[in-house]
Amino acid sequence: MRLLATVAAVLSLGSTALCAEKSNSTKPLTSRQILPANFKPPQTFKNVNLVHIINLEKSYPKESINVVIENTASTAQDEYFIPFTSSQMETIGGFEVKDRKDPDSGLFEVEAVEFDTESDTQFYRIRLPTPLAPKAQQTLGISFSYLSALEPLPKHVGQQESQYLVYTFSAYCPSTYVTLKQKTEVKFPSTNVPEYTIVPATAGESESPQKAGSKFTYGSFGELPAGAVEPVKVRYEFTKPVIHVSRLERDIEVSHWGGNIAFEDRFTLHNHAANLSKQFNRVEWASQQYYNPPSTAIKELKFPLRVGSTEPYFTDVIGNVSTSRFRSNKREANLEIKPRYPIFGGWNYPFRVGWNADLKKFLRKLKTGNGYVLNVPFLEGPKQPEGVSYEHIELRVILPEGAENVQYSTTVPLVSVEHSLHRTFMDTTGRTTLTLTAINIVDDFRDRELIVTYDYPLLAGFRKPLVIFTAVVGVFCAAWAIGGLDIGIHGKKK
Amino acid sequence: MADSGSITESFFKGSSGRNTRGLLRLTILSLIAAAAISSRLFSVIRFESIIHEFDPWFNFRATKYLVQHGFYDFWDWFDDRTWHPLGRVTGGTLYPGLMVTSGAIYHALRALTIPVDIRNICVLLAPGFSGLTAYATYLFTNEMSTSPSAGLLAAAFMGIAPGYISRSVAGSYDNEAIAIFLLVFTFFLWIKALKLGSAFWGALCALFYGYMVSAWGGYVFITNLIPLHVFVLVCMGRFSPRVYVSYCTWYALGTLASMQIPFVGFLPIRSSEHMSALGVFGLLQLVGFVEFVRAGVPSKQFATLLRGFVLVVFAIAFGGLVLLTVSGVIAPWTGRFYSLWDTGYAKIHIPIIASVSEHQPTAWPAFFFDLNMLIWLFPAGVYLCFQKLADEQVFVVVYAILASYFSGVMVRLMLTLTPIVCVSAALALSSLLDTYLTIKSPTEPTDSSADAVNGTTASSKKAEKAAKQDGLRSLSKPLVGIYTTFSKTSVVSALTAYLLIFVLHCTWVTSNAYSSPSVVLASRMPDGSQHIIDDYREAYQWLRQNTPENAKIMSWWDYGYQIGGMADRPTLVDNNTWNNTHIATVGKAMSSREEVSYPIMRQHEVDYVLVVFGGLLGYSGDDINKFLWMVRIAEGIWPDEVKERDFFTDRGEYRVDEGATETMKNSLMYKMSYYNYGALFPPGQAQDRVRGVRMPEKGPELNTVEEAFTSENWIIRIYKVKDLDNVGRDHASASSFAKGNKKKKTTKRRGPKVLRVE
Amino acid sequence: MHFLKGLVVSLLPFAALAAKKPAADKFQQFHTKALSSTPLKLDDTIYGQLTSAPRDYSVAVLLTALESRFGCQLCREFQPEWDLVSKSWTKGDKKGESRLIYGTLDFSEGKMTFQSLGLQTAPVLLLFRPTHGPHASADTAPLRYDFTSGAPPAEQIHGWIARHLPDGPHPEVHRPINWMRIIAVTTTLLGTVTFISVAWPYLLPIIQNRNLWAAISLISILLFTSGHMFNHIRKVPYVAGDGKGGVSYFAGGFSNQFGLETQIVAAMYGLLSFATISLALKVPRISDPKTQQVAVLIWGGVIFVMYSFLLSVFRIKNGGYPFWLPPFS
Repeated sequence: MRLLATVAAVLSLGSTALCAEKSNSTKPLTSRQILPANFKPPQTFKNVNLVHIINLEKSYPKESINVVIENTASTAQDEYFIPFTSSQMETIGGFEVKDRKDPDSGLFEVEAVEFDTESDTQFYRIRLPTPLAPKAQQTLGISFSYLSALEPLPKHVGQQESQYLVYTFSAYCPSTYVTLKQKTEVKFPSTNVPEYTIVPATAGESESPQKAGSKFTYGSFGELPAGAVEPVKVRYEFTKPVIHVSRLERDIEVSHWGGNIAFEDRFTLHNHAANLSKQFNRVEWASQQYYNPPSTAIKELKFPLRVGSTEPYFTDVIGNVSTSRFRSNKREANLEIKPRYPIFGGWNYPFRVGWNADLKKFLRKLKTGNGYVLNVPFLEGPKQPEGVSYEHIELRVILPEGAENVQYSTTVPLVSVEHSLHRTFMDTTGRTTLTLTAINIVDDFRDRELIVTYDYPLLAGFRKPLVIFTAVVGVFCAAWAIGGLDIGIHGKKK
Repeated sequence: MADSGSITESFFKGSSGRNTRGLLRLTILSLIAAAAISSRLFSVIRFESIIHEFDPWFNFRATKYLVQHGFYDFWDWFDDRTWHPLGRVTGGTLYPGLMVTSGAIYHALRALTIPVDIRNICVLLAPGFSGLTAYATYLFTNEMSTSPSAGLLAAAFMGIAPGYISRSVAGSYDNEAIAIFLLVFTFFLWIKALKLGSAFWGALCALFYGYMVSAWGGYVFITNLIPLHVFVLVCMGRFSPRVYVSYCTWYALGTLASMQIPFVGFLPIRSSEHMSALGVFGLLQLVGFVEFVRAGVPSKQFATLLRGFVLVVFAIAFGGLVLLTVSGVIAPWTGRFYSLWDTGYAKIHIPIIASVSEHQPTAWPAFFFDLNMLIWLFPAGVYLCFQKLADEQVFVVVYAILASYFSGVMVRLMLTLTPIVCVSAALALSSLLDTYLTIKSPTEPTDSSADAVNGTTASSKKAEKAAKQDGLRSLSKPLVGIYTTFSKTSVVSALTAYLLIFVLHCTWVTSNAYSSPSVVLASRMPDGSQHIIDDYREAYQWLRQNTPENAKIMSWWDYGYQIGGMADRPTLVDNNTWNNTHIATVGKAMSSREEVSYPIMRQHEVDYVLVVFGGLLGYSGDDINKFLWMVRIAEGIWPDEVKERDFFTDRGEYRVDEGATETMKNSLMYKMSYYNYGALFPPGQAQDRVRGVRMPEKGPELNTVEEAFTSENWIIRIYKVKDLDNVGRDHASASSFAKGNKKKKTTKRRGPKVLRVE
Repeated sequence: MHFLKGLVVSLLPFAALAAKKPAADKFQQFHTKALSSTPLKLDDTIYGQLTSAPRDYSVAVLLTALESRFGCQLCREFQPEWDLVSKSWTKGDKKGESRLIYGTLDFSEGKMTFQSLGLQTAPVLLLFRPTHGPHASADTAPLRYDFTSGAPPAEQIHGWIARHLPDGPHPEVHRPINWMRIIAVTTTLLGTVTFISVAWPYLLPIIQNRNLWAAISLISILLFTSGHMFNHIRKVPYVAGDGKGGVSYFAGGFSNQFGLETQIVAAMYGLLSFATISLALKVPRISDPKTQQVAVLIWGGVIFVMYSFLLSVFRIKNGGYPFWLPPFS
């Protein structure tokens, strides 16, 4: 326990990129920290005041917990634990903690810990950058989101009916510490919430929830012991598609010779909205297209690309999809794609989009030596009002042949990183490739950037021309030699 | 460039210019190849790099299979996703040449780590080979004539002649794509072998013949043309060791090579198509033997005796062949081949073959459309071949007559005609140009030279006499040349004009007629911009993504390959029409009442039914227009369950509107095409834009299938076959149960017929 | 005819009796008659008796119009086949186990029947299946064979009948061997052989004449490339009148043509290639400059005009064709 803590502390003291890489790569879910089976978080904190905000405006629940914690132990503490059920642990994503008092102090180091695979309770451990002195207080801003935690009810709706989603949570924010005062706010996309659990009035507090437009508030509640739960279920209207990308493969290819950077995103897209109760009816669909009412079908996806992106393409497994528009000018470069058919609940549509851009906008050469810095957006998926959730993202940065000493840094929580070689276009050794994997990401991370630094010696640039030249010369010589041979069967007449 | 070809000839006389000429020829040839390739790229530029209409989709799928699973798996590939539930021994029933070729190219490029998509190779294979074809034509023509301009002209013609472009535009990834090159090149090698009488060239010829066999069913054309050529030569008394060596080499090796293809197997010794080659082989042995003996034995009557002996043996052998054929040891002519001779045969006995549009006879506009001016230069060229009737010219004549007959009978065989047309047209044109494109003119005949000329003519009278029975009459007088520059310029300029028109024509035809993928339809928006109608792929993609992995799709056989290729779903029938009964079953299901169709569909585990309907868009190639063929083919198997007569009104019209016959209105195809169609229009206004008629007020009702998907412009409509209801009763009660729900009982719907399974 | 009349008279009591007595003897009557001459030549009355229910036998009747004034080509084509079917069937089944009677009712004798059946067209083949007895079939209405594709061969008719009378024997169709034809063929064959063998020395130079072969091959090529096979297969009309009395030589539409049209086209092709040949071979052999000049002009002009005309004709066939040459534009 102590030892681990010190190790982690040492790591965290290490500087910038390299360390960022480690701390990132040792983040959640894959390489978990195993604690002794009899682990119980020490009761060293208490939550003085806690506000739990659940945002259901998008197609995934986004939760944020603002809590004022106070050290009740006699010694300074730097480990704060948050419990989750193992099912939540599967789908939780983008777990981030920062200090509410000074938001720009950067993210805290967090990691998922597990002491017993059978147990239903798992923990996230937040490591405070500076140990909190006894009786001292600190305000944490914790934010995370669950993927595919929303269930349509009924499961099948008609082509034009409106859809209702169900979300279940606890009115008391799950905590391993005593909570003195707390409330839970739920933001709905609309005021149409036909069903919700009512928490009866108790001594001191009025009946929950209080409604204010599309915002419900449970609590505030008084002092509650650790691990207190009050299950609450809400069912609200959400007549929008529930866009879920089960897998996104994103390639970023850098070419120094061409001065070009090529992006390609391969989406495996599903719509998790309620399925059609009857078969698809084209007449109905066509007739309703004039005034377009809210629908659970995906009609169009909008990709706001970086300004200056060119030559976009939108294809699927059987070729180019002609129904896409690209608006590009000084200020914006919007790629608006329309799938071949409207994607209703339960339908799938894998596709790929790609575009090119000028390398200068993304690449900088370092003053010293032959190092380069590449700054690209980590994720450039569609920007939809209803939001998009990504279950698995695999990002490949393909650097030119001969690039070496590759380092990177990003604020997106990653699960694995690997370096490899990618051979194409008459490469001899192959191009240096950096592959980053992240899971359970939502489109809030759209604008997060990825910074890659690498060295590219001048000589490496000239390898390919030389190789090709020698090869061609070799072929000519061989042809000449063979042409010289006399393979006739006749005797020595000449 | 053709003119420049001959200009260089007249320009660089003498041995010094040989290298210059060679260089020029090389550049011209490469230019021709470039032109040939680029003129086939219209569709790629207009649309995208996509595989065209129907058969290519199967070849494409097979190629992908080959690339993924390797050669041996491909060789014994049993495809259970077609012809459900029968499946197809694909590896043994296709011509692998095409797939293997593109597979080899693919792997070669991959070895160079060039990340090329197999689709692009398949799309661009045909244009690439067209360049080679042009070169092969050049070689072939050079064997025919001494004038080098002929070869270049022929190559140019071959490069851009629409008759060949029609089957080799980018994306039409069909056997013909490489077959035509192989055809021409094999013929070139044959001529070479015949001229030199060398076993080496004969073996090469056999090699490429084998390649041809592996690539296209049309190899039978070679298999019969070469023996015919040899036979004619023997009849002309031109037997020589050269003929013997070249033919025997070719036949022995070529037959062995052809037997390596599983699909061909033992046909070369078992089927009538190949018997001519065998017979001529035997004949050559006999004649060779006779010649040998005669060389040894000088006596006259002995020779005649031998000749008699030869005739007798030949007659006996021929009789034996006939006997074997009759007794069935040798397979009789296959339907497709037989229908070339007995032209009425297909229509009666094999409606499937007759139903294919490219098996129709050729009207004259098609010839002119595909060959333009070549079509009238063609006979002239053939006539020129009679000048000095050497063995190779005989070949041209034989080829010309045979090919023009075939192309007259079947449109698609225009393909085999085109090369020889290009060659002989080039011969004619080049002789014209060589005559009229020379700088130096003959001197004006003065009196002395005049009577000298007369003298020569007088002296040449005897030669004329001699020439009477041998030479051509037009060659009787001695060659003088063209005197005035005016006549030269006039003729040459006229020819240039014709050639320019020819080029324009070819480009126009290619861009207008032969460059549409027919998977993607293009239409013009009111503002003139191009609007792409992509319904096929929309529906296929929907099938591929949103139906279970092996949901069986029933559709008319035209779309089988596309569904297999694009939607990747099992189909009942496809364009490889090897099983008439199965196709007839689908035809019956489409053309019968629901109560009859439903059991059929259940028995074949059909999950979805796909129909093509052009009524909304005015797309005339839809299923209602093909419907009669379904009926006919079904009638061929079930004459008294499906009757073509019942689909025509009493006045003998084929109608779909209010006046359609009951049988028509109750047929599954009709119902599926027009189901819910009226809902698009204000009541009573429903309009079929293909047939140009107004549809009845009340649309058809469907009980056993339900609409699952309809593409944006209604071109493709997909229906889901309803399952038996949960109580698991048989389909009869289930369908009547469905009707019971619908509160409407039509009396004639009762009492479902039991399916006759053949 | 008289005989028939008498027969009808003699039969009438039978028919009357037949109402109550099972019509076995009725069948016997007709069968015996059929044995002598089948198919029976019927008229309205006999037709009535023959096909009247109750019936324990089946009847196949061909309603036809053989007389030339009706101009029923199909009837005359089909008649021999029909006779062949009935003859071989009746011969094959003398004892009448299949209980099937063949009859032919010509329009001239059966006007009422035609009217009663409301028939506009001939021929019509009806098959009445027995109404009672062992092989009785549910629906009394006769089955109708429709002549969709020309006159069917006897075997096809036989198959059709056999299909609808599932039980009972189906005597095969026996085609009589046509001796005349065989003899004729053999004689002609022998004749030609002898003729050739006799006239060989005279034939040889003709056969070996290059011009002849050239002519033959050119003509055949011209035939084929001008769409003659299309005419042969599709049986197109030679010419057709346009709406207003005149004759239209060129069929509208890209993929159909008239007989005359193809001949015109062939002629054009022939002329064009002949002009080309003479430009290429004949003209440079003309020793006199003047004549040569004239010949060049003539042949060049011929090619030009003809080609221009050809293009204009093609523009008729194919609407949007953009290219043309003067003078015909």
